Amino acid sequence: METIPKNNEQPSQTQPAPAERLAYSVQEAADMLGVNYFSIYRLIQRGKLKVCRALRGKLLVPRSELLKLLEPK
Amino acid sequence: MSTRFDDRRPTELEDKAHAEAVRHFAEQLTQFPASRSAIDRLERDIAKIGLAANMAASKPMPTETVIRADDSADWHKSVELMENIFLCHRPITGGAEYAVVEHFPARGTHEIWNRGGNAVEVLRMFAQEQRQALQVWAEDMSAQVKEFLAEKFPGQDMSRVTDSFMHRLTRAVSQQQSQSDGQKHSRGVSI
Repeated sequence: METIPKNNEQPSQTQPAPAERLAYSVQEAADMLGVNYFSIYRLIQRGKLKVCRALRGKLLVPRSELLKLLEPK
Repeated sequence: MSTRFDDRRPTELEDKAHAEAVRHFAEQLTQFPASRSAIDRLERDIAKIGLAANMAASKPMPTETVIRADDSADWHKSVELMENIFLCHRPITGGAEYAVVEHFPARGTHEIWNRGGNAVEVLRMFAQEQRQALQVWAEDMSAQVKEFLAEKFPGQDMSRVTDSFMHRLTRAVSQQQSQSDGQKHSRGVSI
């Protein structure tokens, strides 16, 4: 099963999430990528990380976008 | 300058909500001003940093400063601009090319943000984009606070708490920045 690793963990070391989600908050995305908030907003501003908005306007990072960033180049 | 909750004293519930929001978003309340200060410093010192990069590019650099960026080229780190962000240079025919590069430790990659033949111009472009990224952050922060308060205090009007929180987040902004940003904001959050 595909899971999003946290911080510096490799995908194979990660336990499967109890319930996979479609999108994550900026805070969660920052934690998973091991960077600070500003790096995430920088990626969003440059269009390198596509986001969607929740009902009240909060930015959400789709799981597929996070996986793209976590893939080794 | 407006004061907290403006002309009417906050209710007990508003005070409680404000304290909870401040506690919940404590990390962002620390990181946001720190990021803004880093941009302020960068803008203030652009000429100095550009000069340092020019000087670094004009002499041989030790190999340990070399990084491989996402363009597959090797770059020399000249100046650390922010955490994990560097002004870099590499020799090209007839001079040097400069780039702002961010290191992503989890991926082990180096992402190029801006590049060009003039270090000061590259830095200026980068600083301008950082202001825009900060604006995206401020607007998202406002939405996050609204959502948090709506969930914690359903059915209550917490608009003054949100305003007060955002004021706390974005206070002490230079008049110049407020004016220039004010023209392009769509939702009234200025940094």
